[in-house]
Amino acid sequence: MITLKINGQSRQIEADPDTPLLWALRDDLNLTGTKFGCGRALCGACTVHIDGDAERSCSIMVGDAAGKSITTIEGLSGDVAKAVTDAWIKAAVPQCGYCQPGFVMAVTSVLGANRNQTREAVLSQITNLCRCGTYDAIRTAVGFAVADLNPQGQPNKESVR
Amino acid sequence: MTAARIARRTFLIAAGVVGGGLLVGTGALVARLHGIGGYRLPAGEGEASFGAWIKLARDGTIEVAVPHQEMGQGIYSLAVLLAAEGLRLPADAVRAVQAPINPYFANPIMVIDGLPFNEHASGLVQESAKWTVDKVIRAFGLSATGGSTSTRHIAEPIRACAASALDVLTRAAAEKFGVAAGELKIADGRISTADGRSAAYAELADAASRLSPRTIELPPLAEGVFVGKGMPRVDVPPKTRGVAAYGIDTRQPGQLYAAIRHSPRLGGVFKSASLPADLPGVRGIVEGGDYVAVVATSYSKAVAGLEKSTVVWDDSYALSVSSKDVFAAYRAALDKGASYKPRWVIDSAGDAAAAKGREVAATYDAPFLAHATMEPMNATALVTDGGVKVWAGHQSGYLAKLRVAAAAGVPTDAVEVFTPYLGGGFGRRADLDYIVKAVEIARKFKSTPVQTIWSRAEDLRDDVYRPAAMADVTAKLGDDGLPSGLTYRIAVPSTTDQFTARAIPGAKGGLLPDRSTVDGAVFSFYGLQNRSIENFSVDAGIPVGYWRSVGHSLNNFFFETFIDELSATAGIDPFDYRARLLDANGGEAAQRAKAVLTRLARFNADNKVTVASGAKAGRGVALSECFHSFVGQLADIEVVAGNIRVKRVFAVVDCGFAIDPPNVIAQLRSAINFGLSAALYGKVEIDNGKIVPENFDTYQILTLEDAPEIVVEIANSGAAIGGIGEIGTPGIAPAVGNAIFAATGKRLRSLPFDLG
Repeated sequence: MITLKINGQSRQIEADPDTPLLWALRDDLNLTGTKFGCGRALCGACTVHIDGDAERSCSIMVGDAAGKSITTIEGLSGDVAKAVTDAWIKAAVPQCGYCQPGFVMAVTSVLGANRNQTREAVLSQITNLCRCGTYDAIRTAVGFAVADLNPQGQPNKESVR
Repeated sequence: MTAARIARRTFLIAAGVVGGGLLVGTGALVARLHGIGGYRLPAGEGEASFGAWIKLARDGTIEVAVPHQEMGQGIYSLAVLLAAEGLRLPADAVRAVQAPINPYFANPIMVIDGLPFNEHASGLVQESAKWTVDKVIRAFGLSATGGSTSTRHIAEPIRACAASALDVLTRAAAEKFGVAAGELKIADGRISTADGRSAAYAELADAASRLSPRTIELPPLAEGVFVGKGMPRVDVPPKTRGVAAYGIDTRQPGQLYAAIRHSPRLGGVFKSASLPADLPGVRGIVEGGDYVAVVATSYSKAVAGLEKSTVVWDDSYALSVSSKDVFAAYRAALDKGASYKPRWVIDSAGDAAAAKGREVAATYDAPFLAHATMEPMNATALVTDGGVKVWAGHQSGYLAKLRVAAAAGVPTDAVEVFTPYLGGGFGRRADLDYIVKAVEIARKFKSTPVQTIWSRAEDLRDDVYRPAAMADVTAKLGDDGLPSGLTYRIAVPSTTDQFTARAIPGAKGGLLPDRSTVDGAVFSFYGLQNRSIENFSVDAGIPVGYWRSVGHSLNNFFFETFIDELSATAGIDPFDYRARLLDANGGEAAQRAKAVLTRLARFNADNKVTVASGAKAGRGVALSECFHSFVGQLADIEVVAGNIRVKRVFAVVDCGFAIDPPNVIAQLRSAINFGLSAALYGKVEIDNGKIVPENFDTYQILTLEDAPEIVVEIANSGAAIGGIGEIGTPGIAPAVGNAIFAATGKRLRSLPFDLG
């Protein structure tokens, strides 16, 4: 038995410690918003937050995730998440949509760490892949989210990590 | 089949709604079904059907049936948009649902588009062939999503069905209130009298659905509340929040998971496997023809089981072909010239060989490509004594039922196919071997649903690839610098022959020329009086399939690069050169292409190419006609230390009329980036029958960082609606290649681009 802290709840799963977190989420806990894309941390479709940081759950083992606070797209909450989700919908980013929860998780993590960042600074930290090539809309959406979180538009350079 | 044919004939006689396009033009024989008369959506208790496309659901929502799969092209939203417009409803009062798999929803357009005729010419032969194909495809009931046909297929019938539904609702209201229909007001799903009496559609629906439809002349598509303006896509919120369900998200009670592995070499077959005993959660191993699968209680346990198994493959019949052998075969075929067989001359005029003038000759090539949909191949199947249920993203419900029935040995009526969202299609999910394999695996676990998932490596290895190709193009330039003769010869296998053989057991290809092999080079909008456009069909045994824009992705690159080479040789500006060639044709297609080119030229004049210090920069132009739409692209590129960076793309699109402009722009951007992945990185190397790339590190796709800014301008010509989903893909490679030439003077004739 491994105990995982997921979306604020304690969940127990019967799994080998070297099971990728992605599959524990999808198969054992039925949290299918986290997607399988490559299995090698190359595409970001499986991005979740572990203690607030964006991590690729296909390459994190449940044994290493135990005891840490894990957030999936289903458990995303707070004003940063709302700003990013609203921005994604306003910019109508998704096409096939399969990679998009991963993008939303990645951008939310970057802005959650510091909401006073320029659009370009946020974008430079996003390495997820989208096969539909929704990148123009992603840039627009990140711009919306940045403007929403920092209406003065005066990024505080000191606080950029 | 007989019943379907009779129903359709009855329908044609009973058809009440006439589309404007049906009354005029050559499209009349391409029968348009308007969803009243022949087939009606089944309506249960508390529901009311208004024909084949629209019904009122129990919760009061209008449902519009979509016989196409939603794979990112936005067809669910387009259906909602048109139904809401026609029924004068707000967008949230309508939802899209998958249409039943029924012959009524057959899609003949993509097959008609594949006929080896000039679609701009009209004659008895063409019209008879279209008529015949239309009949045959409808008789079979072949439903399919592809060839950029979704909107072309369903827009008019949905508009007609909505108009008919509104008509019967209004008549029902007139009857209920005892007033003339013309005195009623319609707004927000209610029909009201001047004196304040009012009824919701839901209250009128039952009576309305019993009224006989009348003949209504449908006005031509024009800007309305949503039409020509757009509507927020219905699938955007669920996809953003991670609640949209894809095939891989299927969860059935007691479901097992299978991890699949294929023979490392193409053509290799399964020989033997040993699975260690007592692996946790592992339920068994399934031996397939060219694969093996381990089934377990979770996918990770299935993967672990597969990794711990020893599998032996029989390579007696494995291909020992490498990419270089394929290109050598192409070279040999082209060198053989006119005596090579099978060779098809698909478009010719005058005498290209006899033309005189300065000769320009070039050879181009492009590699095999994978689809690499973000959602890897997968399917969930439940096989019981009563039949088979399948949950999977696919691009043809009809073929899925056919293939599953054959694989499970049950009648097609015993097969149910459930279609969630597709995590990308691009043509990959038109080929249904992955569903067949999932059914074969599930058959071994009767009455238990089994989900089979391809790892990324398996997804890349078990693809049907965009074929590699090679083309020899020669022209003679007359005194005016324009080609007095042009010969275009492409060596490439026939995707359609291979697809047909896989899709329909026992079907034999090779009887007809495959137009898709030369799409993008045939029936050009340029004036080429002496021309010969030829396909040298060379099949080296590598499985090939439909890949976004199909033959256009090859031929538009070869052809538009060659046109650029001709303009450079003639010393004429590339915009001016193309304009002269279009004028030399002068037909409708040339005029549409010219209108697009004129906008590109204006943008070019207004926006200079900027060059950063230490960089070389250039702009390239390309024109495409693809699935009845016209696209022009300008690519601005920069070369720094040998690296090509595409900074900005300006595209103009004429798809006739943009029903949903924001989505037209989104689709163009998507298709351009898809083509750019191929132009800059895309290559599936084959080594001794092995597919080399295994993941996104060795099969690179475009990243956010490298994606250009793409500006799209819509130029409605008012012509019949053309395709949208694929049409941006072909033109980006030639635009970028021509820009590289402008920047460096180097002509790159091989994809992906490499400045060495």
